[in-house]
Amino acid sequence: MGLNWFLLALPFIILTAAYLFASHMRLADNPDDKLLPPVSKMVQAIKQYAWTGDRTNGEQLMVQDTLSSLRRLVIGVGSAAIFGLLAGLNIGLFPGFKALGNSFVKFLSIIPPLAILPILFIVFGVGEVGKVMLIFLGTVFLIARDITLTVESFPREQTIKALTLGASGTQTAYQIILPQVMPRLINTVRLSLGPAWLFLIASEAIASTDGLGYRIFLVRRYLSMDLIIPLVFWITFLGFSMDLLLRKFAERKYPWYVKSGG
Amino acid sequence: MKRFPIMLLALVLTISLIPMNEAFAKEKFKIAWSHYTGWEPWEYANHAGILKKWANKYGIDISLTLVNDYVESINQYTAGQYDGCVMTNMDALTIPSVGGIDSTALIIGDYSNGNDGIGTRGEGSVTEFTGKEVMLVQYSVSHYLLARAIDQAGKTEKDIGMKLVNVSDAEIAGLFASNPKAIAVTWNPPLMTIREAGAKIIFDSSKIPGEILDLMVVRTNAPDSLKKALIGAWYETMRVMSGKGKTADESIAYMAKIAGNTEQSFVAQLKTTAMYYTAKDAADFAKSENLKKTMEYVRTFTFERGLFGQNASSKDFIGIEFPDATVMGSKRNVKLRFTDKYMRMAAEGKI
Amino acid sequence: MNGSNNSMCVKAGGLEEKNILHIQDVYKIYGNKVVLDNVDLSVARGEFCTVVGPSGCGKSTLLRLILGQERPTKGGLFIDGCPAESAGRDRGIVYQKYSLFPHLTVLENVLLGKKLCAGIVERFRKHKTFEEEAMHFLEKVQLREHYKKYPHELSGGMQQRVAIAQAVIMNPSILLMDEPFGALDPGTRESMQVFILEIWEKTKMTIFFVTHDLEEACYLGTRIVALSQFYSDGRKNNGNKGAKIVADYPLPRKATSTMVKAQASFGELIQKIRQEGFDPKHLQHVTEFNLKHDDSFQTLTPEEAQR
Repeated sequence: MGLNWFLLALPFIILTAAYLFASHMRLADNPDDKLLPPVSKMVQAIKQYAWTGDRTNGEQLMVQDTLSSLRRLVIGVGSAAIFGLLAGLNIGLFPGFKALGNSFVKFLSIIPPLAILPILFIVFGVGEVGKVMLIFLGTVFLIARDITLTVESFPREQTIKALTLGASGTQTAYQIILPQVMPRLINTVRLSLGPAWLFLIASEAIASTDGLGYRIFLVRRYLSMDLIIPLVFWITFLGFSMDLLLRKFAERKYPWYVKSGG
Repeated sequence: MKRFPIMLLALVLTISLIPMNEAFAKEKFKIAWSHYTGWEPWEYANHAGILKKWANKYGIDISLTLVNDYVESINQYTAGQYDGCVMTNMDALTIPSVGGIDSTALIIGDYSNGNDGIGTRGEGSVTEFTGKEVMLVQYSVSHYLLARAIDQAGKTEKDIGMKLVNVSDAEIAGLFASNPKAIAVTWNPPLMTIREAGAKIIFDSSKIPGEILDLMVVRTNAPDSLKKALIGAWYETMRVMSGKGKTADESIAYMAKIAGNTEQSFVAQLKTTAMYYTAKDAADFAKSENLKKTMEYVRTFTFERGLFGQNASSKDFIGIEFPDATVMGSKRNVKLRFTDKYMRMAAEGKI
Repeated sequence: MNGSNNSMCVKAGGLEEKNILHIQDVYKIYGNKVVLDNVDLSVARGEFCTVVGPSGCGKSTLLRLILGQERPTKGGLFIDGCPAESAGRDRGIVYQKYSLFPHLTVLENVLLGKKLCAGIVERFRKHKTFEEEAMHFLEKVQLREHYKKYPHELSGGMQQRVAIAQAVIMNPSILLMDEPFGALDPGTRESMQVFILEIWEKTKMTIFFVTHDLEEACYLGTRIVALSQFYSDGRKNNGNKGAKIVADYPLPRKATSTMVKAQASFGELIQKIRQEGFDPKHLQHVTEFNLKHDDSFQTLTPEEAQR
């Protein structure tokens, strides 16, 4: 057990040590070096970013950036989850929907979303809609595809069983299949969060007034690694927390899911 | 597992070796450049063998590398990958100087005389920007230009209360074209594109002549041989460009081609670029009081926006040295030096 | 995918109306492969009809046709005199697995059918009644104290007991069971056999029970049907023929004690059906099948009947 923890921590310890060593070497050479700033400088930078606020208007930038980014992410991924769930469920269950939507969704899911980013910005503007749309389009088709496959992999016996219990087609879809797809949806959303962050940061980098991606690309202009490095950790932490939260939620809400081999 | 310590050592060495290029590079120097009207001559000098000729004269080797992203080229120079790099006076102050790299503005190549501008869909003055979204690359010379325009209108950014949207320079022209209410601050070539898309240019850098300077910046501790070789190559290129005849035409055509412009459009851009074709003009400008006034504006602007970093308690944090040996700001922390010494030598034919 | 439409169907009249299940001239062909080959079967109300046969003979296919999960290639299937179309609540089903919904608790699984059939208002109004009824059924299957558990928390035998309660609460015209005890260990299996007999005796429900276990079939049924492809007939094309009912015996009503399995007559019957249904070398002619049950009938084509 102790050894396991040690092995788990080892890569992190080595990376930190390597950083500190390299940073020390560079700072000995040039005390104002910006590439590998010392930890003290990072702490100071994040403190100022979080509490002291902007020199021009005194706003608390970290809270504001985080909330803006999270709002875009949640609206984008949330609407993608709802839409992807409904589309995937109907395509997976009903032959008519399948003929109508399956190949279309497959086709759309192959388009690299970043490639259409300039089009999105021109169609939806550089405001919130463009960014949310990028996240939405970047995740919805994969979610829909995954839900379709999940629904298709349900044993046909379940549908038949539901019919023998008096369910209609719609009831089967929304009362029998849908609740069973929910934990799978949460897992898919968890996997989609990685790409969603990528799209968020990309869209904020190209045109934005606030957000974590905006901040990174703004301070990149003057090589402020003392803020960029903590921000990367902050984003990693946010991503990790969201993943953990969703996982815990699924475990609590759908205790049958993991155990019955879903 | 036995090889692990070796790998760790290799990793640490790799990271720590980044800055040591300087120490190892005896007679080899690396210069970075990026695309801009006033910097295309560097690539011509490289292409035509002028750079090699002057490097040979001073017994060194100079390699010129295109970094196809302006900010990235400066960042790499600051990180120690290059001995010299082209940049504006404002970025020289905020990136390498704040980053502790003692840098010298070796050559003042030109100033923007209309290459940067503010385009609108109808607003006639920056004072009408209240509550509107303004697209620009924040903290760039565009931002500076906007600040100066507001300044000249007798207002402050706060008075006007507009919303700045940070937009990548690659996207700004397209976004302007698609938005009927757009306001954009940008430079050439996107400035030309938005002008063609119907933008009304309400302010441009010709109203602040000599403030947006395009420089060749080198490390102050670089040897004279590098500095002289660069000076020699540059002014020979200037002579070719500004001359008459076939060679001059060919040089312009080549620059237009690598800039990705038509010759016509490149020549138009040159018109809004105030090139210092002679070393004397450039040296005289370096020595003028105007440069001090400009740098005062620039350092005030950058300090107020926090670009001097958290350690800076005032705009005097960084020292800027001028050709007459006066220092603006901290004498103990001089990180940006303007000099007319090498340009003067070229003007007097001593290179 | 609509539910039962018994009351509205045009009844076909004749023999198919007398019995709860009537199957006549049914073929099922997948591509070129004939699985069911002119099958005839009629099952009376209250019968516990067990179906045996060598593996792959089409027992489960026959069950799926009755269930409405698949359609016959040719022929007629009638439930209570009405053509059997897509699955509905007149037929209950217990599979070997997948009978229970993994996301519902034991109580919710049993309650599900009642809720699905009720309107939204009724669902709230009668909630208590439904729940009491479901608990009553759970009592019957001796799982009352487990009502809060999820299926994965139950043993295989318990899961099948819930599945039976889930189907029986709907009071279907016929309960179809497809190898329901096939995945259980021998001890559990035997107690489940006793259990289903008890349920059958209490409810007098018609049960159609598919199994590959001959002993189980003889023990449980009031009637045993053997489905097999091992027979001979007058058709020239002998390479591609499907299964027929090759034996059909009434079984004596008996006590639910498993002691009956040890009796000599029980063993003899098993031997006889094993030979008639499972022995590839024992090829009876179609006209000589032992179709001893009163309800059994056979419609042979003239070509088949040739010697």
